[in-house]
Amino acid sequence: MLDTLGNSLKDAVKKLSGKTVIDRAAVDELVRDLQRALLSADVNVKLVMQLSQSIKKRALEEEPPKGMGVRAHVLRIVYQELVRLMGRPGEVSLEPQTILMAGLQGSGKTTTAAKLARYFQRKGLRTGVICADTFRPGAYDQLKTLCDRISVPCFGKPGEPDALAIVREGLSAFRRQYEVIIIDTQGRHALEENLIEEIIQINEIAHPDHRWLVIDAALGQQASEQARRFHEAIGIDGVIVTKMDGTAKGGGALSAVAETRSGIVFIGSGETIEDLERFDPDGFISRLLGMGDLKALVERAEEAVSTDEIDVNAMLKGKFTLRDMYKQLEALNRMGPLKQIMSMLPLGGVQIPDDAYDITSTKMQRYRVIMDSMTPSELDDPSIIGSSRVQRIARGAGVAPEDVRELIKYYKIMQRALKGMRGMDSGRFNMQRMMKKFGGPGK
Amino acid sequence: MFDSLKKKLQNIRTKFASNIEEAAGVGVEPPQPPGKAEAAAPLARPESPAVLEEREKPTLINRVKVFVREREILIQEKDIEEPLSELEMVLLENDVALPVTDEIISRMRAELVGRHRRIGDSVDDLVVSTLRSALCGVLGEGFDLLRYVEEHERPVKILFTGVNGTGKTTTVAKVGHYLQKNGFSVVIGAGDTFRAGAIEQIVTHADRLGIRVVRHQPGADPSAVLFDAVQYAKAHNIDVVLADTAGRFHNRANLMNQLEKIRRVMKPDLIVYVDEAVAGNDAVIRADEFNRTVGTDAVVLTKADMDPRGGAAISIAHTVGKPILFLGTGQGYDDIMPFEPLAVVNELLGGEV
Repeated sequence: MLDTLGNSLKDAVKKLSGKTVIDRAAVDELVRDLQRALLSADVNVKLVMQLSQSIKKRALEEEPPKGMGVRAHVLRIVYQELVRLMGRPGEVSLEPQTILMAGLQGSGKTTTAAKLARYFQRKGLRTGVICADTFRPGAYDQLKTLCDRISVPCFGKPGEPDALAIVREGLSAFRRQYEVIIIDTQGRHALEENLIEEIIQINEIAHPDHRWLVIDAALGQQASEQARRFHEAIGIDGVIVTKMDGTAKGGGALSAVAETRSGIVFIGSGETIEDLERFDPDGFISRLLGMGDLKALVERAEEAVSTDEIDVNAMLKGKFTLRDMYKQLEALNRMGPLKQIMSMLPLGGVQIPDDAYDITSTKMQRYRVIMDSMTPSELDDPSIIGSSRVQRIARGAGVAPEDVRELIKYYKIMQRALKGMRGMDSGRFNMQRMMKKFGGPGK
Repeated sequence: MFDSLKKKLQNIRTKFASNIEEAAGVGVEPPQPPGKAEAAAPLARPESPAVLEEREKPTLINRVKVFVREREILIQEKDIEEPLSELEMVLLENDVALPVTDEIISRMRAELVGRHRRIGDSVDDLVVSTLRSALCGVLGEGFDLLRYVEEHERPVKILFTGVNGTGKTTTVAKVGHYLQKNGFSVVIGAGDTFRAGAIEQIVTHADRLGIRVVRHQPGADPSAVLFDAVQYAKAHNIDVVLADTAGRFHNRANLMNQLEKIRRVMKPDLIVYVDEAVAGNDAVIRADEFNRTVGTDAVVLTKADMDPRGGAAISIAHTVGKPILFLGTGQGYDDIMPFEPLAVVNELLGGEV
């Protein structure tokens, strides 16, 4: 459904292209489509109305700068207004600090607390976590298990009913040894007065440097109200959007940002402990409107692959050997599920069948095994692979010769597709074809 | 629940009424006092098929003809355009998903335009009954779990599904408590073997409630756990098996396949989809996806106490076309409420302004 919205938005934008004078009807249409896209992304209705008013006004009143087409002009306004709405990304400093997590039940605070611990740990800071959730059964076990996996200490006292006591003790135990202390709290909503009172007191005891509100990407219009009350209680200075790996667009987080006048700090995008991204407004906007997000992809690619391993630019230029493909497959493996990566590519409305991902990820495993049986010269120049070499590789990898030929075919498809991706606009068609072929040769 | 929606709908009603009154060209009658609307409320869907046949194209000639001859007026599209778009905003503000809102609006439009209205008839009644039938159509029938268990062969196997963090585990505990209170014996299958702490969570709940839990190690195959739970229930003559599962996103093919496998292995009698009442537009997308992969027989909406607007109820019910079983309304084991659509609609439209 969102894809169709994204498409109609793109159609509306297209109508503006080539025009020299701003056409009121076209702007109206664009604004209407924009409204629908934002509303179905759960952005607060009032915010949407304000936003569309100011976009309309600016689009009709402001003169496009010299040399800028009408379409670019309107798009720029849309973009600027959206960025303004979104606020600046919340600051994350890499220095000793205490962070208090707050949020509704089931929004993902505990998982996020562990992910944050991992984030700071990877940045080289000594990190400890305090479990102040005294209510939900299993909360401590959950946090402890997650922390044990990354060898981060977790302070908690299952059975102790007083969250304040835990925080007090935990802080005095951790403050000397650890630089970053993350306090996980129980889920609560704004109408539970005693719980709001509790978090106010925790806030007073802990004097945290940051108070971050965790928001489920699927949260609807209620986001504003909840954020407002949390803000009144403890002064929220950052928002974390979780579950962005689902289909929800996270518009509720925008409402929360607007209410708290803070910024989005992190985005949670998966179930493993590494799935936490720094917030990137461009990417978020693209996703909100149903367009892709190349920037977040590159960021992840950079983290997963050290620079000498793979040259993204050369790849995009189509200079691409089997060796590159091998590294690429390895990198893809580290970057997480293929689908997640694909969702970040600006493929626009291209529909990719679900089974295409499954086939490809198992097939990729096999491809890597086959490539392990090739000689360096074969990897550098796959064109020298003749039928006797195919036989040898197949024997070495323990596969049928057809599998080796399929790999070579796949390599050629990738090579062609990557050439096509150079110019993004012309590339879309090829990407579409490539995706079809991804699922293709596997029978 | 539904408080915000209710208040707004009251305002809209008056608006519809006065717009249609003005359009009639006769003096504006004061909108009906709300007391009367309430009295008319229990007559669900008073507009019979006969009314539908009565429609004519609202051209001027027809309008005059009708007006002169029968002292009735015809409702035109433009008379209701403004209140309709206002109703649209109200629904959106209350988390009714966009496509569902579109449908309610177009249903309202189709039903109202071209309808005759006798002068002196209450406009309010007409609007209310139209809105009522639109909402009733969307919310569907309720679901009586106790009767279901009563009428089916034991053990009745209930599988809980849903995305992460909607409150499946808590709901399983609450439903277990509810069934136990009503005289049924219950066993819980700890099918969430993935999330850290999930087994501890359900076991603690069950211990407090005195319910048996069938559990394996973390990381075990959930199908096996739930199969064992069913076997246990058969061997011990237990009435109901409640199967907890790990939260999963509908766009993860492998996890959805796992759920499919669970369904094949334990053959549940009821698949209950759990989502939160505060969810926005995504509620529709994921409810639809779950319904298509594993099916859904009933829905539980949790976190209904977060001052929600109730829109998710309308969206989800409309999307999957399945009844809402319970509302979760708090953190206690008794905080669960059977959902009665008629009562909800009556409350939305009938209550005091």
